[in-house]
Amino acid sequence: MLDNVRYFIRRALRNMRQWPLLCTAAILTMAVALATVATFFLVVVNIEQLAQSWTKEIQVIAYLETALPQRDIAETVKKLKLIPEVATVDYVSQEDALQRFRQRLGEDASLLEGISRDLLPASFELGLRPEFRHQQGVEKVVRQLESSIDIEDMRYGQSWLERFNAFVDMLRFVGMVLGGFLLFAALFIVSNTIKLTLYARRDELEIMALVGATMRFIKVPFLLEGAIQGVLGGLLSLVFLSIVFKLVIERSLQSFWLTPTDFQLLFLTSSQQLALVAGGMLLGLLGSLTSLRKFVRI
Amino acid sequence: MIQLFNVSKSFGGEAAAVKDLTLQIPKGDFVYVTGASGAGKTTFLRMLYLAEKPTRGQILINNQNITRFRSHQIPYLRRKIGVVFQDFKLLQSRTVFENVAFALEAQGKKRYEVSKKVYQALKEVGLEHRMQRKPLELSGGEQQRIAIARALVVDPLILLADEPSGNLDQDVTQDIMELFKTANARGTTVLLATHDHSLNRRFPRRVITLDKGQLVADQQPHQS
Repeated sequence: MLDNVRYFIRRALRNMRQWPLLCTAAILTMAVALATVATFFLVVVNIEQLAQSWTKEIQVIAYLETALPQRDIAETVKKLKLIPEVATVDYVSQEDALQRFRQRLGEDASLLEGISRDLLPASFELGLRPEFRHQQGVEKVVRQLESSIDIEDMRYGQSWLERFNAFVDMLRFVGMVLGGFLLFAALFIVSNTIKLTLYARRDELEIMALVGATMRFIKVPFLLEGAIQGVLGGLLSLVFLSIVFKLVIERSLQSFWLTPTDFQLLFLTSSQQLALVAGGMLLGLLGSLTSLRKFVRI
Repeated sequence: MIQLFNVSKSFGGEAAAVKDLTLQIPKGDFVYVTGASGAGKTTFLRMLYLAEKPTRGQILINNQNITRFRSHQIPYLRRKIGVVFQDFKLLQSRTVFENVAFALEAQGKKRYEVSKKVYQALKEVGLEHRMQRKPLELSGGEQQRIAIARALVVDPLILLADEPSGNLDQDVTQDIMELFKTANARGTTVLLATHDHSLNRRFPRRVITLDKGQLVADQQPHQS
């Protein structure tokens, strides 16, 4: 058994040495295919991350029918903080609201002179926890608010939220469709490249069958070879992506942002990197398996 | 012992390549299979190592009905049969040694056993000094001798040769025939497909003649 395994590995490596051009072609094809899929994945993940960073602005503002007496404010804030989706609660009194309005008017603030301080309603501004910064989260908060305090009106960027939701949904859908298409194309190209490499070696396959090699004996070294090439292709694509990411994209983005930003580009996590290499192995295996089926006949 | 009972083989809608063939070849026999091009010689040989399955009839080798073999049994049949072709079918990227070793490796033989047997087989065909060469660096006759060494290294019960001297000159053919005779003398049944009648004149043996897939003559040496 151990002898067989050693023999298969030796033969897979010897095949790769004897056909360096075919082997390089297969590895490069897999590296390009995997790098394309991984790049696309990174683009989608980063756009989604960027989109998520916009949701920091999401908040629910509840305008009160009547301003609360000073003694009830702290208690209401405490009650609102009990809503699981809510992270922060700020009470904006009528004076504060007017003050803000005045600031916003800037030079035209004089227009507000002589206006009663109870012109604008008092309000609660509720910030949401990051995981609830979406339409369903907001709607939950709104329902609970309605049942707990007297509200005159509520604002939570309904139409913006709807558009944002549609955008994220579309991004995911397009990501899945294009990603699936890319993956299929990668499998197709890799499988065809392996088919070509096997076509060049069909004599070897024919002679093996002729001298009484079993199906397993013929196939295993080729599958092993496909898997090794896949792993090498995966590693190569990872090295290529890291270099491009660190040296090109990150640097050019740093000069792109005009204002300081806390937006950090995401690269593949270590488990995703591992998945890329494992994906390469799987791609090599599947490519070899489908091609062998065509060439090995006993 | 090879036995064929009413064996026919046709490809698609075409006329049968082999038609209703019935014959027996005892163990250790040496038989020429002759006939014009397209007479069915190659198809007949290919059916013996199950590269083709008969459309009709039964083939028995050592009392085993090989026409009933499932695909996983075929490799074990081929380990008992050595095959030599007109175009040698050698791996050009491998050395002479590796080409012959290939047949033993495919059977899962141990490394030390492979080295010993390959050296022995190459010595028998007179190529032990060319072990590390690639086939294309050698002459046609030498390449055919490698192919014969590969066929004989596994000590086959049957040796099938399909026009083995088709591309070779008279002297080389003589050498090759000597190798077949030696193998036959050790007990290997030899079937040699050829349209070169001079072979039979120089090395008289049983001759089976096919025409349009049918057996038209089966002559023993004393009759020819």
